[in-house]
Amino acid sequence: MVNYGGDEVSALVIDIGTSSVRAGYAGDDTPKAVIPTTFGYHKAPLDPDSAMPDVADPTQPRPGKFAKMYMGQYGPSVWRDGMEVSNPLNEGLIHDFEPVSALMRHAIVDVMRCNPSEHPILVTEPAWNTPANRERMAEIMFEEFQVPAFYIANTGVLNAFAAGKGSALVIDVGQTMASVTPIVDGFVLRKGLVYSTLPKLVHAHAHHMLAAPNPQRRGIDLYPHQLISNKMPVEMGAPPRFTLREDRVKGTTASWRAWYEAREVDEWIQSVAGVLEQGWNDQVAASRPPRQYEFPTGYNSWFAQERFLVGEQLFHHSSQMLASNPTLPKHIPALITESLRACDPELRQVLVGNVVLTGGGSLFAGFGDRLSAELARSFPHVKIHSPGNPVERRYGGWLGGSVLGSLGTFHQLWISKEEWMEHGKMIVGQRCK
Amino acid sequence: MSNAADVRSILDLPSSSTATPVPAPRKVSLASARKPDGISRELFSLIGPSSTTLVAQLAKPRLKQKPNLGAGSKIKWEWRQFKNSARTDSLQLGHWVKASTDPEAEYPFAKYNVQPATYTYSQEEYTKLLQDTEWTKEETDYLMNIVHEYDTRWYVIQDRYNFSGGPERSMEDLKDRYCSVCRKLIRNRPWTGDESSKAALMSSFSFDKDREVMRKKYVASLENRTPEQIAEEEALYIEIKRLEQNERRFKRERDDLLRTVAGIESGLPDIVEDEQQLNGLLLDAKRSKKKGGADLDSPSTPLLGASLTKRLPAKNTAYDLQHCITRTDLAPQSATTKAAHQPAYLRSFKLPFPKSSIAPKVTQALAELGVSTTRLVMPTQGNVALLEGLLDATASLVEMKKVVDKADYDIQVLKARLGMAGPANEAEGTADAMDVDDGNDADGDAEGEGDGEGEDGRAQSVVSTRSARSRKHTRRSMSISSVDTSATVSTRAGTKRQRRS
Repeated sequence: MVNYGGDEVSALVIDIGTSSVRAGYAGDDTPKAVIPTTFGYHKAPLDPDSAMPDVADPTQPRPGKFAKMYMGQYGPSVWRDGMEVSNPLNEGLIHDFEPVSALMRHAIVDVMRCNPSEHPILVTEPAWNTPANRERMAEIMFEEFQVPAFYIANTGVLNAFAAGKGSALVIDVGQTMASVTPIVDGFVLRKGLVYSTLPKLVHAHAHHMLAAPNPQRRGIDLYPHQLISNKMPVEMGAPPRFTLREDRVKGTTASWRAWYEAREVDEWIQSVAGVLEQGWNDQVAASRPPRQYEFPTGYNSWFAQERFLVGEQLFHHSSQMLASNPTLPKHIPALITESLRACDPELRQVLVGNVVLTGGGSLFAGFGDRLSAELARSFPHVKIHSPGNPVERRYGGWLGGSVLGSLGTFHQLWISKEEWMEHGKMIVGQRCK
Repeated sequence: MSNAADVRSILDLPSSSTATPVPAPRKVSLASARKPDGISRELFSLIGPSSTTLVAQLAKPRLKQKPNLGAGSKIKWEWRQFKNSARTDSLQLGHWVKASTDPEAEYPFAKYNVQPATYTYSQEEYTKLLQDTEWTKEETDYLMNIVHEYDTRWYVIQDRYNFSGGPERSMEDLKDRYCSVCRKLIRNRPWTGDESSKAALMSSFSFDKDREVMRKKYVASLENRTPEQIAEEEALYIEIKRLEQNERRFKRERDDLLRTVAGIESGLPDIVEDEQQLNGLLLDAKRSKKKGGADLDSPSTPLLGASLTKRLPAKNTAYDLQHCITRTDLAPQSATTKAAHQPAYLRSFKLPFPKSSIAPKVTQALAELGVSTTRLVMPTQGNVALLEGLLDATASLVEMKKVVDKADYDIQVLKARLGMAGPANEAEGTADAMDVDDGNDADGDAEGEGDGEGEDGRAQSVVSTRSARSRKHTRRSMSISSVDTSATVSTRAGTKRQRRS
């Protein structure tokens, strides 16, 4: 038992990202529950008196600003009349804890069928999390979930652990944030931590490219399939022939519509977009085979150069783009350079030799090859660890938490309920460095 | 399956009277009638029980025995709460353990909770020992705490170090302060162990800040090289490798040449070792040699030589004077000729040895002067030059004296032959007899040859066999011997006679 260093105490690991909340047992290799972080809700009536019947609702016992919340598999993706959609995370940080605790409860109680008061819980946080935020999380865990023990760990560190490294340069590309985190001996070097909202830019670029008309085609309608009653097969590139569900269009809220359009764009990106391995080159981009994609409206087309233009945004910004927008989020090579510059010169070689690529946003076709080409230009000995398994790539933070939470030597680090009662919020900062 | 009855029938013996022959075969059939498993009854009745091997083979196949894991008994596991002694609170976590394990046993992972040794100091100690103009006590306290907190992981410490109101500290500052504090505390506290362990502990806290800063600078500058610089550096490295390789090839060729000319007695050191070590390079050299004599290497050599000499800074002269360093200027073209290469050597090694025949006389002469040649206390260039001159002068003095002695003796002998007929006759007769004897006696001749090696035999054969080291002497001895070659035979005869008589 001591030899492999593991000792499973049935701890739970919860990893809250912008796109999904992952929860599972420490020691497993995949999370048991993966639910979207975005949730649907009906606004509580402004008059507090009329909210009373909702309080009595057994599925939603707490009074709050949401009359009803829809989470998980049948949550936001199901069309409901007047349902708003919201995400409690902003730039990777939790800004609204009320739905977060509901989401965690949903994941643990409704999906995993666990009683949180019986399990120590390990929660993840991004490296740029605020002390107030992590203390609030601890408070929710101890006061609301009554957990026996709690720990909050950094996603950067956990990603390094998931790759089996104590020191690494973690490049994490998520749904809204791209970050580069130097890790040394399991500690984040805060001075070297850099992050930007690069994936958002890539997404916006793709959205604009699809929705805006161009010489080859009209702008593409990004109606979600829930709003389409029927459609006819059409020729490639021909205008789509479909009819909308007029009964639903009225009740559709702007937030839900925007969220679903974003999903359509994401799906297009995931199935079509890519990155050129050796930097942008018109000939190479043109020589790549085009890919076909059909939107819910029935419109379908080939996408050739466009699909690489999207990925190129991750690595290169044209000078006119930079000139027009001075607050443009930094691209990946800039982030890496900035991060390494802040590190000790001695460390740079170590870090570059231990690059860990993680996050769902890094699953762009050709991302890893492009990254190694970019790094090889400035460093002689580059080694990139990028799991080929998409589950490991997407849930790297969770996986690291699973590794950490099942280590025998880790169990002395849990913040127990007793310690929480005794020391209060201070203990979180002292224990979780 | 034969019994006594069968044996009897084979041997045509009468059956024994005691046993009846009839029941015996029946017994046999009964015993063998049992059909073994795995063979059909019909087949068995055909082949009968005689073919035992077949029966053995036809035994019913059985499955492999199931592995018995866990030594037969089931292991009972149970969910048990445990207490971690590495924790300070009473948190009890649960895990699955074998029911057979001792519930009172200590948590096996608690032993990995090793706390690093920390140094604390009192206010008194601080004021007495640890005062530093750069550091306040508060900041030192903060430093010691943070070092303990992050377990001397300096990169992390430097990252997290944030003392409000303090100046910006580099990692070297922090390390330097921490190590110096620890060193002072160790040095000034009573030590229970032995001195060597104390010294070892002290040395573990030794830190050379300037050196570290310098090293960091080098690392940084290594990183800031432009691609052109890196390319140039690589080109230079390859150039050096190639030059070294050339050097070895030249040396080898020269040695080979010397060996072919001079034979095995040339006294050259064996170069087999060298060959093995540099097999690849030499092979490469051979290949290029095969391609055709003059290759690209030779022209590039003076270029490098020139650049090297250019790089020698002029300001070194003062330093050289002070430290008695003499630099010999290598003419740039000297590097181009193959044999002219000189590796580094000790100056005192270049002292010429006097010829073996006169060596004892030279040392004797020097001893009279009170000069020891074996070891120079201060072998500077000047001293070595002086000593060399002295040795030279002594050697030539000894030789000169020898020649003079010989000449004197010759004169005496000739005078005796010419002038005094009466008393000299006897002497002449003996001398003649000896001469004749000398000419026939090969033994004596060889002896004489060995004796007078310095003067005569040398003149013809030495040039090729002697290495460059003694060439100087050779020349000198040649001149001497050429002077007295005419008198050699008689002189030798004279000396021999002298010795024998």
